[in-house]
Amino acid sequence: MPVSKLNKTAEVRRFMRPASEVMRLERMGSSHPTRLSFLRILLRRLKSSDWQIDRPVWNVDAKGVGHGVYRVRSDERIYSLVAFAHDLPDEMRSDRVIATAWDATFTLFDGEPTPDDIARLAKNVPFQEAGRISPKELTLARANRSVRLFKHVVDALSEGRQPDASEMNAVGYLMRTTAVYGSGKFGASDREDIAQRPELSAPFQVEMLTVWLIRAFTVDIVEHMAAAKGGAGAVKLDRDTRRSLGVGNSTGLGMAPFIVRHPVLLNNWMLAREEALARVRAQTVAEPDAVLALNDVHASAMQNAVAWRSEHPVQVKKLQDLRRDLDLIADQLETFDWAVTRPWNELWSWGESTLTFEGQEALLALMLEPHGPLIDDLADHMGADEAACFRIDGAMSVADLRSVLEQSYGWALEIDFTTPENTARFWYVSEEKLEPRLGERATEEGASLEQPMCIARLVAELYATVQDYDHTKPVAALLLAHPEHRYAVRRVQITKNHSYAEVHDNLIAADMLPIDLLRCKLAYFGASQFDPRSDRWVRINLFAGAPFPGDINAESTL
Amino acid sequence: MNTNPEDQTRGDSTPFFHGDEPAPLSCNETASLCMKAARGAGMSWGMAEEAGFASAWLVAHCIDGPSCLYAHLERADGKVWGDLCPTITPTSWRNTADHAICPIILGATICDYADLPEGPRPDTTIQLGRVSMPILLVPFLAVLARKNALGITLKWADSSICINHDETWLEAAARHLTVQQLDLTLSVKAGQVQKANNQTALKSRTTAGTIAALNTLAMRTTVPASDASRSSAGSTLSDND
Repeated sequence: MPVSKLNKTAEVRRFMRPASEVMRLERMGSSHPTRLSFLRILLRRLKSSDWQIDRPVWNVDAKGVGHGVYRVRSDERIYSLVAFAHDLPDEMRSDRVIATAWDATFTLFDGEPTPDDIARLAKNVPFQEAGRISPKELTLARANRSVRLFKHVVDALSEGRQPDASEMNAVGYLMRTTAVYGSGKFGASDREDIAQRPELSAPFQVEMLTVWLIRAFTVDIVEHMAAAKGGAGAVKLDRDTRRSLGVGNSTGLGMAPFIVRHPVLLNNWMLAREEALARVRAQTVAEPDAVLALNDVHASAMQNAVAWRSEHPVQVKKLQDLRRDLDLIADQLETFDWAVTRPWNELWSWGESTLTFEGQEALLALMLEPHGPLIDDLADHMGADEAACFRIDGAMSVADLRSVLEQSYGWALEIDFTTPENTARFWYVSEEKLEPRLGERATEEGASLEQPMCIARLVAELYATVQDYDHTKPVAALLLAHPEHRYAVRRVQITKNHSYAEVHDNLIAADMLPIDLLRCKLAYFGASQFDPRSDRWVRINLFAGAPFPGDINAESTL
Repeated sequence: MNTNPEDQTRGDSTPFFHGDEPAPLSCNETASLCMKAARGAGMSWGMAEEAGFASAWLVAHCIDGPSCLYAHLERADGKVWGDLCPTITPTSWRNTADHAICPIILGATICDYADLPEGPRPDTTIQLGRVSMPILLVPFLAVLARKNALGITLKWADSSICINHDETWLEAAARHLTVQQLDLTLSVKAGQVQKANNQTALKSRTTAGTIAALNTLAMRTTVPASDASRSSAGSTLSDND
């Protein structure tokens, strides 16, 4: 059942934020993780289904070279992370997709690998894009060490002491992944073939499971190397210290086109979150337990904001906004009158009129957190059957198409694409590395090979054609006469029934920040700290503070 | 383009198949490669998506869609829209100059017209004329037959197949329609509502030669490297920390 059917009551609907507000790049670039983020969905599933997790294979030498297998078992199914650990010289360490070697490489195997499978994977997985995997594998991933922290932790543990807390907090992870591929990439299983499994139906669950198990591997390998170095005097990481560690991730422009190319999926992510916010705002009273829980999660958010580091000027400013806004929220909560009718909506309205986008989106995440029973079912509606929306409705009249354009794409039709600043950039794929890049139209070659990323301009061009076309004709006739508009027509028809499908901004404008697109997607993954390393490159940390495999069944809430 | 087989630095691994090695692509890889190749051969982005859909549908039904698509693109490359598209009248969709119609354009257009008077409604017969690599038309007709509960018959010379709820037709389609071109007539009857079929059975493999050929077309959509593009692609700070 689509989320729209769930949203039965006008009561809830009137608290939904419109796409014109939600889908602006600046707001998307202020997204925070929520309990509907994909890693949270995974952790709840792992706990509720009573999965058993162990490490049946650990074949790693004193230098940290070898392989291990992490096994996740339910009554019906087994998934196994096969991890290969390598000895990488410092000069070869790069987070770019164009790197050629990594400290560790991984694949998530569908089932339990035989020795023959492991031998086959050992010939392919360490080479990443230069190897091939098979439909028996669900993901392909790699990670590099945080050289400073990794060495510090191995040294400390080998000498029988815990690592320095300030060093741990400054980095937050032992390794960071530089790619986690799924969905049929490099020969892996197609998403369509596994999406029916209940545990994988939410988006990016195999990728999240891969990263969560990689996190366990990063701790196992430092403890293994410390033991090899320090012998009997070596110790393991304290449980609390270990829990604070996440897995870093470096993400570049490649993630931005994904958001644009999957409009139905983007809509479903946004719709689920917005419906969740609306349900919370529509509550007539606040439960005392929820108010207490709100104070707890606010305190955690304050800690997160203090620990969050970035040198990027855009993020430095956003962090100042966030910290100030969290202080304002603290003040508000101290004196807030929870006895009013619809107190959550009162709190939200106060936030909308008082806080920056950073603070508003953080407040959204805080307000969802105490309301699991009210909103967690929305996680079941965040996937998308994109094939079902692929066919164009050729019988729609050109008049109706024009009306959808005017109603849903006013934001695009207002942009003046004759000015240089509004067409300053172009998206393209590099011949050398086949990675998406962003060029400057005035100074770089290649604009004739522009990728269809700027939906606003494509839609404006369609609108210009439609204005001069016989309105009584069907869309099918328009497309036979103007095949160049087929891409835009498909988008417009999708948007007619999916109001959160489009980013309401000009993606080729001079001042567009690609990191805003990246942050939105990464917040949906569940990243809690974002550290831009340029305007198109960002580092994050995943699963910091989350349980490890051995702890998950004892968790009270997830 | 660096075609060194040891080059691990490119965003896909399909160029690394060699000679007669089996070349299994996932449906996602098939759709992606075929869409780029179709775009490289001159299709609009929206039509190139249709080429990706058709090729991946065939792979999911154990037919080598990428090789079929390349066979068509090789001949269509550089031709203008008017030489590849149908001209629609109530009984005939033949190309104006009687050229062989592009099966992707034809298939997408048949679906566009599915609910219109000129389209494939029950009890209609349409002369399609010559159609290039007609197996590529099948994914569109199969989807349409299921969606509108139709039995769709393709006739040529002295033979025919009926695309309906009984999927035994697929093998015959693969055998007869994987040819350079056929002069086809399409006739439509109301049929039974069909169950969705399970596509997870054996997928088709393609060949290293097809992948290389499609990649050559796909590379036309890419931009050669420059110092500016290299320098702005990554982090401006060291990764080694």
